[in-house]
Amino acid sequence: MAPRVVVLSLASDFGCQVQITNMTDQILDVLGVIDLTYWQLATSGHLPAEYDVAIIEGAATTDEHVALLKKVRETAAAVVAIGSCANIGGVPAMAREGDLEERYATVYGGAAVAVGRIMPRPIDAVIDVDYRVPGCPIDPPEFLRVLSKVLQGLKDDTPDKTMCASCKLNETVCFFDQGQVCLGLVTRSGCAARCPSLGRPCTGCRGVAPDANLGSAREILVRYGQDPDELDRLLRIYNTSREVPV
Amino acid sequence: MFFKIIAKDEVPDLVRGIATEYEVIGPQAKGTAFVFAPLKDPADLRLDYDMTILPAKRYILPERETLMRFSVEDNEVVEAELDAPRRALFGLHPCDVNSLLLMDNVFLDGGDPDPYYKARRENTLIIGVSCMPAPTCFCDAWGTDETHRGFDIFLTDIGDSYYASISSVRGADLVDRFAKGRDITAEDTAAFQERSAAFKAAFEHEIDTSQLPVLLDAKYDSPIWQEFGEMCLACGACSTVCPTCYCFDVHDELDADQKHGERVRTWDSCQFKDFAGVAHGNFRDSRASRVRYRYYHKQWGYLSRYEKVLCVGCGRCTRACKADINPPRVVRALQTGVVDR
Repeated sequence: MAPRVVVLSLASDFGCQVQITNMTDQILDVLGVIDLTYWQLATSGHLPAEYDVAIIEGAATTDEHVALLKKVRETAAAVVAIGSCANIGGVPAMAREGDLEERYATVYGGAAVAVGRIMPRPIDAVIDVDYRVPGCPIDPPEFLRVLSKVLQGLKDDTPDKTMCASCKLNETVCFFDQGQVCLGLVTRSGCAARCPSLGRPCTGCRGVAPDANLGSAREILVRYGQDPDELDRLLRIYNTSREVPV
Repeated sequence: MFFKIIAKDEVPDLVRGIATEYEVIGPQAKGTAFVFAPLKDPADLRLDYDMTILPAKRYILPERETLMRFSVEDNEVVEAELDAPRRALFGLHPCDVNSLLLMDNVFLDGGDPDPYYKARRENTLIIGVSCMPAPTCFCDAWGTDETHRGFDIFLTDIGDSYYASISSVRGADLVDRFAKGRDITAEDTAAFQERSAAFKAAFEHEIDTSQLPVLLDAKYDSPIWQEFGEMCLACGACSTVCPTCYCFDVHDELDADQKHGERVRTWDSCQFKDFAGVAHGNFRDSRASRVRYRYYHKQWGYLSRYEKVLCVGCGRCTRACKADINPPRVVRALQTGVVDR
């Protein structure tokens, strides 16, 4: 029996799910090996009572999200977090800086949105996550590699290292040598250093790599004539919910 | 070996001629840097380059290659084709020519050579070119500033012409057919010697490599390794840009339909934490132990087997490492006992 898969959305812009629909070359092959029983973005109907794999996009921002995640964890054999919001809090977690109610008031006025709101958090702050596809948005080839591991029952092997080696493979001229700060220095690899290869410094959407050396990175900013606080300022785009060690 | 004088304005024709039989890879500008890349137009060839970001090793040992394709259902190999196009690496500096000879020791040594490496190496023509040392160069420290083998043709710049050393039949044949050239004179040889002397005199720094293996042996527990470990980003940029780093990983990837897959070989780095990860942990868990390992492998382990260090002084890692860890600095720290700031 093909594994029953559901795709769920929490607080996000659904960009990662759009990336899945963009996999036009492989999507039919993928659909041939799974039983896609529910996809919030692309199907009608309700979340079934039973399923094997839950793919989740978005950060948890309400009590309802927390309850859903707990239910999902009880039901699914494998939980896959896709995108920055689900994995590291991402952009929704920028709300962690300062007063949450004030921010809601600024954006929504008095509208009754996000009932039961909580401080935005990545889903691993609520439940255990088995597989990760980081990035904003996710990279389809990486999604397929991770999905294959899920289907084969292999362990997750999201890279723990930083970006610079893959940037060298692209022979991108280093942004530090051009007077710019690039978060590739501390960001989790696995995206083939795509943004730098397209002429834009890394903004850290894949999260701070577990093997990153932030202390040395700050010293490097100083040596390259940059303000060392700039590293932490840039990390606020995606990595606010992460305790960044000194 | 025999010699010819090839005028610089004959080089485009030589390149075009070689390109009729080989895919020509040569140094070209990319932004403010240089890269080895397939040459579309001989006018793009920049034989005056100082250093490329990556060495040419990817054309012999690609960063990712399919070793075989297999069927999951039948558990059978369905395809194991060797991808070894006829290529000419045009414009390697002496350090890079030497780096391939050091790689050969690893991949071609012994009774069981690596078939993928061997096939590519045999189909690759090497055309070297002389250079002047950049501030980051230290090939003179290891004696890899000269090369006497490992190339088909080596071009030494003597002004308007190249003093071409030709050391293979296929090299001679190509020069014969695609460059007019002329025989050397005593003046040409004098110019060649002059150029070589100017090159040797142009190195800005001297590295004291005396007793290096002994120092490595004696200073295994030196605090310098801790200090380098605190600086290291563990990013693996050093080994990625290194022309003599050859470590790789092999793993399987399945197609989207999960019915077929391929076994791929990709570059790996001893600076990555998972490189030495085993079932019960990691025997090089700290960055300090990994930085140290890289230097012990290159300047001690390889040396003990092949009587040469596994470094050609190209300086690529010096430029790539944002944390400023590089062989000259490590060797200085070994000599003095302190990491200079």
